[in-house]
Amino acid sequence: MKLRNDGILWTGPATVLMLLVLFVPLAFVVVTSVWTPAGLSLAAYQRLFGSALFLKTFWSTFEVSISASLVSLLLGYPIAMHLARQTPRMRSIYMVIVLVPFWTSVLVKTYAFLVLFGRNGLINQALSAIFQMNIEVPMLFNRFAVLAGMTNYLIPFVVFPVLASLLAIDRSLYMAAEVSGAKPARIFFRITLPLSVPGVLAGAFSTTVMSLGFFVIPALLGSRKEAMMSNLVDFYTREVLDWNMASAIAVMLLGTVTLAALGSDLFMKRESRSRTPKAVPA
Amino acid sequence: MTQVPKCTHSQKARGIIIDRLARRYAGLRNAMAFVVYAFTLLPTLIVIPISFGGAGEMSFPPSNWTLELYEQLFSSSAWVSSILQSTKVSCLATLLAILIAVPAAYGLGRFDFPGKRLVLFLVMSPMVVPVVVTSLGLYLYFSRLHLVGTTIGLVLSHVAYVTPFVVITVMAGVNKLDPALELAASIMGAKRLAVLLKVVLPQLRPSIIAGALFAFLMSFDEVVIAWFITSPETTTLPVKMYTSVQWEISPIIAAVSALLTMLSIVFCCLSIFLLPGTAEPSR
Repeated sequence: MKLRNDGILWTGPATVLMLLVLFVPLAFVVVTSVWTPAGLSLAAYQRLFGSALFLKTFWSTFEVSISASLVSLLLGYPIAMHLARQTPRMRSIYMVIVLVPFWTSVLVKTYAFLVLFGRNGLINQALSAIFQMNIEVPMLFNRFAVLAGMTNYLIPFVVFPVLASLLAIDRSLYMAAEVSGAKPARIFFRITLPLSVPGVLAGAFSTTVMSLGFFVIPALLGSRKEAMMSNLVDFYTREVLDWNMASAIAVMLLGTVTLAALGSDLFMKRESRSRTPKAVPA
Repeated sequence: MTQVPKCTHSQKARGIIIDRLARRYAGLRNAMAFVVYAFTLLPTLIVIPISFGGAGEMSFPPSNWTLELYEQLFSSSAWVSSILQSTKVSCLATLLAILIAVPAAYGLGRFDFPGKRLVLFLVMSPMVVPVVVTSLGLYLYFSRLHLVGTTIGLVLSHVAYVTPFVVITVMAGVNKLDPALELAASIMGAKRLAVLLKVVLPQLRPSIIAGALFAFLMSFDEVVIAWFITSPETTTLPVKMYTSVQWEISPIIAAVSALLTMLSIVFCCLSIFLLPGTAEPSR
């Protein structure tokens, strides 16, 4: 049933807002990246690919994003499994543990990691007290700190899709497996894990794409070596004052994220098509 | 006949072994889950006890509990003005986002129209574009329009930033509406405006409030856009926190963080109360 068909009127204000406050700014970035006083040129991109700083940052952005995504998958999966086994009432109670950090400002969590991981931070204080000697494990301003901060941020984004696919598994499959004498490990590897693949993939892809654009966590918990592409954009805008280069890096980042998002979307669609005969509920 | 008890006996034994194994696995599973629960929740909660320690120490648990940091926070005009600025920006951004996103969600959820996919792409795109790219663009664009450092510029940017999340939340509500109710009301002679105000909006109220909470918190916590386009006069709380974490870790941040954590606990509980069952908004 359709009432009067004026969907365009309803969505008009939002569309205009996005054009003016998102797409015009994006056009400014693209134009600034190819516009030099001498006219149109790709000089900024040539400089980028000759710059050791950019190339290093480009690769480390990928490394950090993919490893953060994998670690949060490993950590998020047990939580999703635990939630899936609860009664709906208990599940909503445990869910609060996942949701409160999810709603909390990334700055609060980053500050907490600074306090926990610092040279005289809470973890080193605790270690020193336990072993009765002065322990100063370097945990801040390195890749470990960045990964810990990012993983902590990303875990809810893994838990939600994995939980959804675990809850979609037919209970009678577990019963059948148990009656046939399968041991818990076998049930996990033959039923739970394969049937949760759609959720795992969704979580892995979305967290990787999200990580590519991270800004605050690498800036505050990492050293210069852990800087990601976002931080390089900031560096060229604020410290070098070279908007041409900053825009070129931003275009590269936008292109990378768009390609990654499109690629994972395509992959997910093919995955789900190859699975439909087995009738896995979406 | 003699084989029957034998068989049950061995089955029973096997059952016990599997039970024991299952229990051991269950213990392992729970232990793993609780370690990760602790890892996700601890950093968020630890700022609360730290904020009640004095300015000089940073230990857990604090050796003497004081409100010293809160006194320092509320007597510092820089911190207080950034809190006020953030409150102003997020209230305005939430109001505008609701005015724009609720009709959009209704239009997208209720109607099919030419170009719907394009509109959906445009409205959802802030979720995919890295914030730093948007921020640089806004900075370049707003410097042309002389909007850098203005509150209105920041408010508009935040409206665009939070709109997709409000649209998703409200659209879930729209999809649950029964279109027959709207049809019935209009057959009974209700004018279109009356249908909207008396039939559609009352049913959407919980999802609109949840969307508003979400929009407020997202705008209140947003750092990157504000870091690029605010001036010292229009600095928001997250930018103030970001700069003070970067240069000198002022202990006042512990008090600010504790307040923000309590705010998110309140908002989280409200959203679960408003939208039971759909406790996981996609951010």
